[in-house]
Amino acid sequence: MSLSLRMIAVLTAIGLLSGGFLAGVGILTQERIEWNKKQEIEAAILKVVPGTSQNTAFHEEEELTVYEAQDAQNSLIGYAILASGTGFQDKITLMFGTDPSLTRIRRLVILDQKETPGLGAKITSEEDFLRFWQNKDISQSLVLHKPAVASPDELAPIEVNTITGATISSEKILKIVNLSVERLKTLLDKETNGSVDQDV
Amino acid sequence: MIKKQTGVLTKMSEKSLSAEFAKGLWDENPVFRQLLGLCPTLAVTNAVINGIVMGLATSFVLIFSSLVISSIKKLIPNQVRIASFIVIIATFVTIADRFLAAFFPPISKSLGPYIPLIVVNCIILGRQEAFSSKNPIRRSLIDALGMSAGFFLALLALSAIRELLGMGTFLGIQVLGAWFRPWIIMVLPAGAFITLGVLLSLALTIERKTRR
Repeated sequence: MSLSLRMIAVLTAIGLLSGGFLAGVGILTQERIEWNKKQEIEAAILKVVPGTSQNTAFHEEEELTVYEAQDAQNSLIGYAILASGTGFQDKITLMFGTDPSLTRIRRLVILDQKETPGLGAKITSEEDFLRFWQNKDISQSLVLHKPAVASPDELAPIEVNTITGATISSEKILKIVNLSVERLKTLLDKETNGSVDQDV
Repeated sequence: MIKKQTGVLTKMSEKSLSAEFAKGLWDENPVFRQLLGLCPTLAVTNAVINGIVMGLATSFVLIFSSLVISSIKKLIPNQVRIASFIVIIATFVTIADRFLAAFFPPISKSLGPYIPLIVVNCIILGRQEAFSSKNPIRRSLIDALGMSAGFFLALLALSAIRELLGMGTFLGIQVLGAWFRPWIIMVLPAGAFITLGVLLSLALTIERKTRR
């Protein structure tokens, strides 16, 4: 066999074997990976809208998915909003829950982030950041309170706390939440006005 | 006479096999002596669990790639050897990545792109080019095991120091008391360079003293 043919044969064989092997591994792990993702979302919905017994994806678009959360009697008890946006280092994915009338945020959780460890990464800490997001008034845009305060009682209903040394991370989260709320309000308005077109 | 010679030869090859393993731990340690694979070494060692998982994933890829490559080395034409090595390495890296995503999602998330990046880890391609493609299967396996152990221990040392000083914890368990104020710099990139620098100078000092 000439050298060129041998080179083609060897590379093709290695490529085919490797591809076939990986296809098998892909099929074996696919289901489990999807299940993990679903479980993570389910757990987050239950956290941000406590008492949810079932949920339906009400609207899906790039970087924003809205779930309607219902209780055991099938009545709407709030919305869980899965949103993502750019953080200080990389993409931040978060979820927050609201009441059905979109006036209050119940809770916020961070699902994925790669902010600076020890500083921006505090956005995942209940003590340092998340507890300051409970029960916030979203009838208007939220604003950041600077400098940081020690207790949620020191904040006005439309204010959220800053993390000392990680103002940018705090601002980015605020921006993701404000934009998502605004978008959801537009969507709900459209729905009430009877329009079916969700592309804005 | 012949029996005696065979005995000596067997003893020699046994000795050199153990030396083959041991060289990865110290004399040719991938991190401290060859300065290879520094990207994951610096990037993921901010917590011990990340260091351990990265060490294990790299070991898996290195050991299996070495086994496959030393088994089929005679079939691969010299001109396409690097391309073939990379495809084989990438296959094992993808397996490791999918396995972690399926069974250990939190760790997979915290290691982020660094698992797929094992493909370009110089230790792996380096061992294939310098060793597995020229040596029999058993010897290649021993070499890969030694290098993996050396890399694993280096990541463990770095991550243990960084997590302990940077957060006061080891594997997430609080070790240093409330009196300790974490040195945040240790879990930041600068801390990785400082720790690596200190450990490298320590390794060189030990090497110099033992040589004397």
